[in-house]
This record gives sequence, structure tokens and C-alpha cells, in this order.
Amino acid sequence: MTTETQPSDQAKVQSPRMAVWKALLLCLPILLLSALIPLLSLQSGDPLMIISGLAVWILVNVFFVLMLITGKTHRYRSVLFIMIAIALPLDFIPWMFETYGSMLLTDETIYSGGASFCPLTMPMVIVPALVKRVVIFPGTLVGTGTHGIFSMMALLWLGVSLSIGRGWCSWGCFYGGWDEFFSRLRKKPLIKHKQIDRRWIYLPFGILLAIVLISALTYEPVYCAWLCPFKLVTEFQAPATTLAIIQIAIFILLFIGLVIVLPLLTRRRIQCGLFCPFGAMQSFFNKINIFGVRIDPEKCSRCEKCIRECPTFSLNEASLDSGKPLMTCTRCAHCIDNCPQGAITYRIKGTSLKASPTVARVLYLYPAYFLMAFIGGATIMNGLQRLLMLITTGSMLH
Amino acid sequence: MTRLCSDVILRAKPGRLRLGTAGKGGEVILQGFLLGLASGTTCLAYCAPVLVPFLLGEGQRVRQNWAVLGKFLGGRLGGYLLFGLIAWAVNRLILEDSGVRAPVLGVAYIALAALLIVYGVVRTPTACAGELKGARAWLNRWPALLPVGLGFLTGLNVCPPFLMAFAGATGTGTLWQSLLFFGTFFLGTSFYFIPLPFLGAFRHVQPLRTIGKFAAVIVALYYLFAGVLLLVGDVL
Amino acid sequence: MEKLKAFFGYAMAVLAFPLIVVMIMAGVTGLGDVFVEATGLQTAAKFTGGEVVRTVGHGAYETRVHRMVFDALFWERSEGFIQVAWAPLDALPARIDEEIDADGDGQADFRVEVDTANKESTLTPYASWVLDLEGTYRLNDTLAVRVRLRNPSR
Repeated sequence: MTTETQPSDQAKVQSPRMAVWKALLLCLPILLLSALIPLLSLQSGDPLMIISGLAVWILVNVFFVLMLITGKTHRYRSVLFIMIAIALPLDFIPWMFETYGSMLLTDETIYSGGASFCPLTMPMVIVPALVKRVVIFPGTLVGTGTHGIFSMMALLWLGVSLSIGRGWCSWGCFYGGWDEFFSRLRKKPLIKHKQIDRRWIYLPFGILLAIVLISALTYEPVYCAWLCPFKLVTEFQAPATTLAIIQIAIFILLFIGLVIVLPLLTRRRIQCGLFCPFGAMQSFFNKINIFGVRIDPEKCSRCEKCIRECPTFSLNEASLDSGKPLMTCTRCAHCIDNCPQGAITYRIKGTSLKASPTVARVLYLYPAYFLMAFIGGATIMNGLQRLLMLITTGSMLH
Repeated sequence: MTRLCSDVILRAKPGRLRLGTAGKGGEVILQGFLLGLASGTTCLAYCAPVLVPFLLGEGQRVRQNWAVLGKFLGGRLGGYLLFGLIAWAVNRLILEDSGVRAPVLGVAYIALAALLIVYGVVRTPTACAGELKGARAWLNRWPALLPVGLGFLTGLNVCPPFLMAFAGATGTGTLWQSLLFFGTFFLGTSFYFIPLPFLGAFRHVQPLRTIGKFAAVIVALYYLFAGVLLLVGDVL
Repeated sequence: MEKLKAFFGYAMAVLAFPLIVVMIMAGVTGLGDVFVEATGLQTAAKFTGGEVVRTVGHGAYETRVHRMVFDALFWERSEGFIQVAWAPLDALPARIDEEIDADGDGQADFRVEVDTANKESTLTPYASWVLDLEGTYRLNDTLAVRVRLRNPSR
């Protein structure tokens, strides 16, 4: 039985701040690796792209240094995460128009292998790929195009999953930022966490199981065809048949409901936490991932603020007893930054409970932030370039 | 192995199965069983979307799952036999005539979807059986209803292995040899279902029951859509 | 033992960074293609149309008849399609009128007439298992039709 205690009367627990010189030194690997972004932009020769590339490079490195100096992770991660989600359609949709004349996927585009791979297809393609060496998605398997090649996405997904587990969902996902954005608009939730039945957190796993089985049976990526709300911000099948119109209506309703309305009302990432089957699959990688989140029982005052506020419902009373969140934790650091007692930290599995949380945090931030800075940064760069094109030329198309 | 078995069996046209003499009973048994082994993975793929969520959702022990599987397979056999008997009595071509198969399959799919939704939404553990009313009480009074019903409706989905078996069984042999062929074929396909009861080993993972039920409802939506499409497909 | 676990933990944590860097760089530079080609992965025939099994030359252009596609995970579906393509696009006549042998038995199974400029086609089935025309498409450098079929082996 938990007892609610008031947080300490002492001033809020200080975040693990860092000296500026130390932060700058630790930022060097990110600074060097993310320099590829402006280098790529220089290669293009386009002044707008160069400006965007430099701006993004400065932005991501300033944010990383601030993360280290202030000890706050979630604040800066969230801003970049939302920027990535908004930037993607700013670039992707004009690219669709340039390449195919429309953001709609016609049969010709599909049969030509023109659909872009996104990592959310992974749960559905795995079984047929293993059994028949067939990829049941109408995309391009090999090549070095800029959008959604299978070989690139597969390696990206594997590398991220092994390095940071479900950290993908808060540091790499191109879409989660929409959920996060709408979940942060209101100051207080209209639907409180106790009004939400906790069993809904198992829905993504149920969807995962169902789509794996049905996709194997039908030889089609059923989640993409029927349930993915993010087709609204990328590409979707042309409404050439009644069936296609029904599919479009479904994903629009899902986007409005799961990505806009419910996150607004609950202040939680409903699509990410209570629907996305890819996130459910990534949760299993949390089990083998070396990083984790730890709740120090000696510092924890059982105020349950973390439970009330976890964006993906990954904390409950049992978590406070066991000292760690559920396997669905996306490592977003919301609880870490907001715990009044400073009881929650990143940790490295196998290390002692007295091990330095700062070391664990930095070691986690490197792979997670590199993912965000490089892949996300490139997305922001492309989106920003389109925006600058719109401002300077009145068009987002090359 | 499955490719070898299917090559052996499928090359044997119905007439060549030589079902006419009692001494060939062993050959009938072997051919039926091998055909079942050859095509059993297909049966598993057709049945898994229904059976896996159901076994997970029930949260029963491995031993109890064997009984559940047996009821499911019994229901499935019932579905096969019903369709087979109708085809035998009327004309085997009804199995291939999409004008007849589509509406039958459509209704079966919709019924299967309804049963899965009832299972996912209504079914509760039996601890409080005495206090339950309506569908919940009904389901607890006849616990076999669900697995048998699910198996039966899945069996009405005339899958490719069944068609092959039916073609083999309705060759020029006697009725009892046809039934023998069909029965051993069914046993052969059931071999691939053996691992499924071992899902009960995970019964201590409490969330799996909820996950199974959620998955059952999602699968139900798929069958509902597929059933409606079969009934009104031309409109869409 | 505790020290060993801690050492292992820190080692894995340190390695996570180069791992993700290498995997991402390998992906964006195309090294992933080697992995895909080594595994023999292919896009499902439902989307690609399947392999070309017969080519018929007509001088400046050719007809590519793909295999019949009834693919499913372990079995063949009762209905599928066949894709027939003509290439290259700039060498095609204004009108194509051709009989196609879908199953390779030497006998024509359907006839297709294609208005190449307007992407309009008509189908005349000869075999009972040839159903209807799904559509006419410009795919890369070809003009293709997809004809829906019922599986003749079932």
C-alpha cells in the first residue's frame, strides 16, 4: 500500500549539472559526427541547404551542451523531437510531388516500388522475410535514395534497437513528435490518469500479435494499409476505390483521435503508449538493452508524480516497489527531470546501485542523441530548407 | 520435407490412389497422412490468427490447453466434414464455384468475427460464474462452446489443403476409404499444432491474457471486414 | 562477480555508441545493400509482378510475360494475376494487339489490345480461369497490364 507524502520542503532537488568546460569536452564526439550534416549540405551547393545544414548543426550541438550543463534531458529532447515530426512532412510531401506528381500512392507508384519504407513496417515483414525471404512491402530494397530504402531502414532499426532499445520511440521516431506536441499543449489534463484503465497499455501488444499473424496470412502489411495514422503526414493510397476511401477515413479518424484529441485531453502520448505496435515490439529490445531507468527507493517519497505524468504509461505502483519502470519505457527522461526527489536516473544494467548516474546518463545520451542529431537533424535540415524555399521563392518544390 | 511430401502426393491423381481394394488401406492411410504433413503449415497459418490469441487469452496450463486444442480441432474437423458432406451430396464443384463459396465463407467469417468479439469483450474467468448473467453465464456454462465454435467456423474456411484432401478423398474409392484418407490427412495437418498448447507455459505472465483478448478483437475486425467484402465485394 | 557484471555493463554501454554510429553510417552509405543481396531478399511478387518467364521480340520492342502470381506464405491463393509488359516505352506502337500464353503450354490464354498513348486496354479471355483486367500501368520504362486469374491448378 502506498502512502502519499509531500515532497521535501527543501528546495527542489538539483539536477545533475555539469561544468561548461566538461560539457563542451563531452560534446566533441557529437560535434564531430554531426558535422556530416553541414558537410552534406555543402555538397549540395544549394545556399538554402547550406544555411539549413549549418543552422541545424549549431542547434543540435547547443542543445546537447545545454542538456549536459543543465542536467535536463527531456526539455531539449522534446523540442527536437517535435521539430523532427513537423519537419518530415515539410520535406517528404514536396518530395512526393517532385518524384511522383502527388503525395498519393497510385498503383503505378506501388508496383514500381515507390512506397517509402518506414521502420513501422518491421513487425509485419519479419515473418515472411524469415520464412520465404520475401518482403511484403512495395518499397525499394536496395539503393541510396534519400527516402525509405529497406536496406537503410533495416540497418538503422537494428542498430538503434540493440543500442537503445525502445529509446527509438523518444529519440528517433519520425512521428512521435506529433503525439508529444499535442500532449504538451494543455497545462492540465482533462482526463486524469486514474480515469484511464491501465489495461489499455496492453493494446499495442495485442495489435502487434494480430498484425503479425494477419500479415503472414494475407501477405500484406495490414497495419500500413488499415491502421497507421501517420499516413496523413507522409503518403497514402489514392482514393480510387470505395475501399481506399474507407481506409483513408479510418486513418484520418485515428490521427485526429489518437494523435490530437486524446493527447490534448490526457497530456499523454496516446498513440505511442496505447496503440503503436512497433513500440510494443521495441519494448522487447528494452529487455536486452544495457541501459535502463532506475528509481531509488531510498530517495523516492511515493508522491507518484512520475506515475501521473509518464507520457507512455510506463510507470505504476509496482514500478516504485521494483525500482524500475515497465518494459514499455521509452527513456524520454520526463520522470527523471521532474522527480521532486531526484530519485529517478538512467542506469547501466549490472552496475551497482551506487554507480554514478551521471556516467550512465552520458553513456546513454551518446547513442540516443547521435540518432536524434544525425537522422533527426538531417530531417530538420531538409524541412527547414523547404521552408526557406517557400519564403524566398514562394514554392516548396525544386 | 513438406515439398517432398506434397510432390509425392499431388502427383498421385485421385484415380491413381487405388482406393478400390481393402488391401490398399495402408496406402490410403499413408497418403492421407503425408498430404496432411505436406500442407499442415498452411492450416496452421489459417488457424493461428484465431487460435493463438484464444490460447493466450485463456491463460490456462499446458495440460488444459491440450484439451482446448482438441476441442478446436474437433470443431475444425466438423466444419470440414460439413462442407465435405454438402459437396459430396450436391456436387463437389460447389467447393470451387466462387458464386457459392463466397457467400458461405462471408457468413462464416462474420460469425467468426462475432464469436471472437464476444470472447475478447465478454468472456471472464470462471471464479464468479454463479453471479454472471447473459452471455457471460452462457459461456461459462458451456466452456467448450468457444473453442469448438471457433474451430468449426475456421474449418468452414475452405483452405487449400482441405481442397486437396477433398479431391484426393473423393476419388474413385469407397466411402470408408475416403473417410480414412480424410481422417489421416486431418491428423497429418494437426501435427503442426502441437507446439501451440505450450503457450500455457507463459500463463504466469498475467498481461498475456489481456493481450490475447485484444488480439482476438483485432483479428475479429479483420474477419468482419473480409466477410463483408465477400458478401458485397462487387460494390467495393 | 559484481565487478565482472559492472565491467560488462560499462563495456556494453560504451560499445552502444560506436554500434549505432556504424549501423547508421552503413545504412546511409548503402552498405546495407550487401546484406540484403546476401540474404536473397526480394520484394513480394504481388507488388513487383514476379519474374519474367518469357520474352517475345517484336523488332524495336519486346513483350515480357511474367509468371502467374498466386503467392501466399506457404500455399497458393485461389486467385491471382499475371503481369504482361511491353518495353521500351518510346519504341511502342500506337496500338498493341497480342495473344498471350499465360501458363506456358503453347496455347494462347487471352488476348489484350492496348492503346499505348492513352493507357487503355481491353481483354478477351480464352481460358475460363482468365477473369478480368486489373489495370494498365506505366512502370519504369515499360507499359504493363495486370490480368486477374483464377488459379488453374486448384
